[in-house]
Amino acid sequence: MKIAPTLEGGLRIDPESDLDWQILRMISADANQVETDLADRLGGMVSDERLAEDWMECVVPDLREAFSDDLFQIQAAIEAAAVFHSDGEHPIWITKEDAFAWYSALNQARLALEEMYHFKNEPDIDSEKAPSPRQQAFLRSQFYCALQSLILDHAL
Amino acid sequence: MSATTTHTETDTYVSHQAPWNVIVHDDPVNLMGYVTYVLMKIFAYDEATANKLMLQIHQQGLSIVWSGELEKAEFYAQQLQFHQLKTSLEQAE
Repeated sequence: MKIAPTLEGGLRIDPESDLDWQILRMISADANQVETDLADRLGGMVSDERLAEDWMECVVPDLREAFSDDLFQIQAAIEAAAVFHSDGEHPIWITKEDAFAWYSALNQARLALEEMYHFKNEPDIDSEKAPSPRQQAFLRSQFYCALQSLILDHAL
Repeated sequence: MSATTTHTETDTYVSHQAPWNVIVHDDPVNLMGYVTYVLMKIFAYDEATANKLMLQIHQQGLSIVWSGELEKAEFYAQQLQFHQLKTSLEQAE
């Protein structure tokens, strides 16, 4: 997979293999595999009894909808590019307008993986052996983090 | 001719309520540069101020990023949560 900044202040992603497409599709899948969703976890931070009930009723649903919209938006962008991919070069464009949704979706995926695996100093991965699910998750998390850094540097 | 006297009384109410603190907590995922970016975007802090607060969050686990009246504090906390920063609200003592 190649990722490069654009002159317009965005990024282009050029997936080069089925594995690349699979990894991009895992962003949403990873983000959705949590027991407590991000909106609830953030909402629970406001625990003052004078505010907590209203916060859970009024703010949390909006957070949930916004996070869900971000995931839907990037999923649609990936699938739209995938449809035309077999016809030739069809990169995925991350424009300045899309940048926050991408950052948000990647963050949701990383938060979900972190909640599941609590990564610490992960051991080196033996390239001779198939990585375990935990190692695969760690590698995806590292990739998501690298893509977030590029978005932060070039598109936000 | 009768005299009319007008009394004018002015009461000044001063709010003695303690301000509300908007607190951002550290988490293992958010990038340091992103936290700085969000603080600059939401509070219009300059880069040095935002960076100092970000380092407090990173090194001390949390930082009070703004204090003031409840309505504004709620607005800022909501904005920070929309940007996926772990944010709480508490009234200063």
